[in-house]
Amino acid sequence: MLKYLMKRSGIYLIMIFLTTSAGYFLAVSSLKPAVLEQEKIPRPTPEQVAASFRGLGLDPDKNAWERYVDWLWGIVTRWDWGRSPNGAFVNAEFADRVLVSTRLFIASIILTLIIGVALGVYSAARQYKVQDRVITSYSYLVHILPAPIAYFLVQLGAISINEAVGERIFFVTGISTPGIEPGWPAFVDLVAHYAVPTFAMTIFGWAGYQIAQRQYLLDNVNADFVRTARAKGLTRNQAIRKHALRVSFIPVAQSIAFTIPAIFTGGFFAEAIFAWPGIGLWSIQSISLQDVNVATATLAYGSVIFAIGAILADFATTLVDPRVRVQ
Amino acid sequence: MSTNTSQTPAERLRDAGLYAPGEAVLSVRDLNVRFNSENGVVHAVRGVDFDLMPGKTLGIVGESGSGKSVTSMAIMGLLPETADITGSVRYKGKELLGLSDKAMCKHRGSDIAMVFQDPLSSLTPVYTVGTQIIEALTVHNPSMSKQAKEARAVDLLRMVGIPSPKDRLKAFPHEFSGGMRQRVMIAIAIANDPRVLIADEPTTALDVTIQAQVLEVLHTAQEETGAAVVMITHDLGVVAGMADDIMVMYAGKPVETGTVEDIYYNPRMPYTLGLLGAVPRVDTATKQSLVPIEGTPPNLALPVTGCSFAARCPMVSDACLHGEPELFPVPGTEGQTLGHKAACIKSDQLSGNADAHRIFHAPPKPVSKFDGVARVERAKVLELRDVKKHFPLLKGALIKRRIGTVKAVDGLSFDIREGECVSIVGESGCGKTTTLLEIMEFHPDQVGEVVIGGVSNKVATDHKTTMAMRKEMQMVFQDPTGALDPRFTVYEVLAEPLENLGMPKAAIKKRIMELMKLVGLQSDHVNRFPNQFSGGQRQRIGIARALAVNPKLVVLDEPVSALDVSVQAGVINLLDKLRAELGLSYLMVAHDLSVVRHISDRVAVMYLGKIVETGDVDHVFDNPRHPYTRALLSAIPVPDPHLERTRERIILQGDLPSPLDAPKGCNFATRCPVFAALPPAKQEKCLTLEPPLAPEKEGTQDFACFFPDGEIDADMLVVHA
Repeated sequence: MLKYLMKRSGIYLIMIFLTTSAGYFLAVSSLKPAVLEQEKIPRPTPEQVAASFRGLGLDPDKNAWERYVDWLWGIVTRWDWGRSPNGAFVNAEFADRVLVSTRLFIASIILTLIIGVALGVYSAARQYKVQDRVITSYSYLVHILPAPIAYFLVQLGAISINEAVGERIFFVTGISTPGIEPGWPAFVDLVAHYAVPTFAMTIFGWAGYQIAQRQYLLDNVNADFVRTARAKGLTRNQAIRKHALRVSFIPVAQSIAFTIPAIFTGGFFAEAIFAWPGIGLWSIQSISLQDVNVATATLAYGSVIFAIGAILADFATTLVDPRVRVQ
Repeated sequence: MSTNTSQTPAERLRDAGLYAPGEAVLSVRDLNVRFNSENGVVHAVRGVDFDLMPGKTLGIVGESGSGKSVTSMAIMGLLPETADITGSVRYKGKELLGLSDKAMCKHRGSDIAMVFQDPLSSLTPVYTVGTQIIEALTVHNPSMSKQAKEARAVDLLRMVGIPSPKDRLKAFPHEFSGGMRQRVMIAIAIANDPRVLIADEPTTALDVTIQAQVLEVLHTAQEETGAAVVMITHDLGVVAGMADDIMVMYAGKPVETGTVEDIYYNPRMPYTLGLLGAVPRVDTATKQSLVPIEGTPPNLALPVTGCSFAARCPMVSDACLHGEPELFPVPGTEGQTLGHKAACIKSDQLSGNADAHRIFHAPPKPVSKFDGVARVERAKVLELRDVKKHFPLLKGALIKRRIGTVKAVDGLSFDIREGECVSIVGESGCGKTTTLLEIMEFHPDQVGEVVIGGVSNKVATDHKTTMAMRKEMQMVFQDPTGALDPRFTVYEVLAEPLENLGMPKAAIKKRIMELMKLVGLQSDHVNRFPNQFSGGQRQRIGIARALAVNPKLVVLDEPVSALDVSVQAGVINLLDKLRAELGLSYLMVAHDLSVVRHISDRVAVMYLGKIVETGDVDHVFDNPRHPYTRALLSAIPVPDPHLERTRERIILQGDLPSPLDAPKGCNFATRCPVFAALPPAKQEKCLTLEPPLAPEKEGTQDFACFFPDGEIDADMLVVHA
């Protein structure tokens, strides 16, 4: 198992290196921070701009290859991912951003998964009955609803609750209230900030799992081995629970592992709408700010998360399916 | 579901006297099953009655769609909730129909157990075999200790003949072969000593040698548990040796019931008679054609007004079309469990030795112009010289390492002369299909030489030569549904090969009309799509397509294995006729040795990529020399109860070994019944030297064995007295 893990990690490391390097070349040849500097007042001279960038390691006079070598050397020797055009260190901001994103998404990932799979099983067992129709129709509706609109609707709902009560129970944006005293008040403040985004992302997130789990289970409820289990003396529901469920969970388990990176890195809308400055928002901002190093760093982060997801998917599959052997 | 509250007087009478259940473990009365479908209500089972006595075996025989499986599922309560089931199913006098799923669970698996058809999909892939056996024990014995359950599971696995049962408990289903999985299914079924064991086509998906093993296991299981068995099958051979009573079903209804002897030796219903005549026999050289039953079973979504078999019956008269005949006792039979009954108003006309061939107007055996010509004087249409196909077994993700070789075909040489049919037989995995693919490949880079119509693959370097070869040889595939493009009309299917040859349009049209007539299809059906035809008709279309370009050689890959017995006979007769009329040669691959015996002139028995015995079909089948051929032939069930019960049977141990670890000497040594009985000094020879394929002095066939007449190991011989 360990050997397999090392081998897979090694392969993914090479892939991450290649995508990140390609991303760096793309960024360095298309992003021109100097253009933005021209909009400053007073307008700096090109010499001043070049000099300030040179100090940040963003020398516009060097060609792409030279800058790539410098950048790579910095990472390999000092684990220094470079600086932004405004002088900020990428490393310093990176950890904060990842922490914000993780905090924003972790609860909703877990809730989405549990609720989605549970509802999938529940609706499959009641195929074409009212409960199934309601749950599955809801899932399809959510699928076609754009995320920004969905999140705004939840925000509006939270605001109207606040207004109805006449007190601010929920915060619809932000991470925490500045200057709150630690201890119990800080915890209440945290929950008040956390509730709305988590709720929004959960109720609009489980649709995919629900539909997939329902479908895979329905494919299996009439399988021959379920019939065998019933012939042994299990009731239909017992046979489905014990035999069909586990088999139907195999493809779902795989998809779970792969959706985790998508949530971590693709949460731009959630981060923007709920004003949690996480990694997704940073990634988009870096492009508009012509920030080569941040754009590349977020890309590298995405690749790493994807690789972890892929390895998790393998693990999940081996865990639930004995036919898959890890060699 | 409904209980039996509103009986007709006739039914009450039946229940009261005529059918006195006595001590039957299972009594089924007037069982009817209806399904709602898009085409209306399908009446799948229409009034099944039977009593199953303890320890007895009832065979339910019928073609696909005859309602035999639905009957068994209705008894088990495993039909979907939407099925409408009426009548009565009593287990030891207790009514089972109408019980809730939960109440039924008390009986399923403990009183009545079932073995299903497809062992590959019938076990849950994610649980170990042990878990699945123990589950069956837990359900009905919640208080049993874990050790006791495990011990019982080991016993069960040993009983069904799984080697090292203790270790195998922890194995997953995918680590077992099909035959082994079916043994596990049987172990699960008998775990709680059921009184009734229902086996639904338990061996249909298996090879003949494995079928013999599994039937043997079923036999043991019945002996050990004393259970009554309901054996459902389409194969008249399989039940001949096992069953005490037989029920023949047609269109959802029993049409004839009686003891095995009644049914096999004195059939009183034309359908039974036809069915028996439609089965080719492996044990006799027949010079007769098979009995074809024309037409198809009725659509059960429509109400049945007359005899359901009337449309296909050669003895039909006006009286048959008015009112469906009931099962009536056949005159002159009494005192049997079921009594001999037939649902035919003309059953008395069939008494004595009715000749199915005459009644069903079986065509005479066709005579070919090559029949009088000695084999050596006929031209060779196909010759293989030392053809080999080895697949490398690779390991590694990026850099592949060769860790072994699978010798799928290992040095094959044979030829086919004009007007003859050569069959290749053997278990799945022996290389039959690879041989066909190698012939079809026809490429200079192949190992060995393939000569088709005088053209060698070694000179087939351009497209033109290959095309010329394709014109000489055509193929008919196993699954007629899969082999025809569903979006092509029959006309387009048949026109395609002709267009490829550049034939003008008018000529194509004429040729297609000829072809339709040739294969016995109506020529005005050319604009229909394949799904508008029955399976047998589709196979006829497949044959017509192969014949379109006037080939000399037709390769038949299991041409009738997907067809029902009655339809199969018609297709076999057609193949026979075409060969004689058109002077064709056939190369056939088939697993059904009875079909092979009927249609072939010569046969080659393959084992692990090599021919182990070859010669004239009558020589090889009547006097097999190689132990493998002997075992293979003895494994085929014969539709003759007396013969089947007294016949010696060689039960091979284990499965076909993986070609990867093929032994050094004789390939077959690991399973050989003769080898097992040899003294060690002689065994050494089998293990070190490879026996050559050669004839004996004045021998009639070639075989590859050092001890052809060796004694068979007693452990592998079985006789049921």
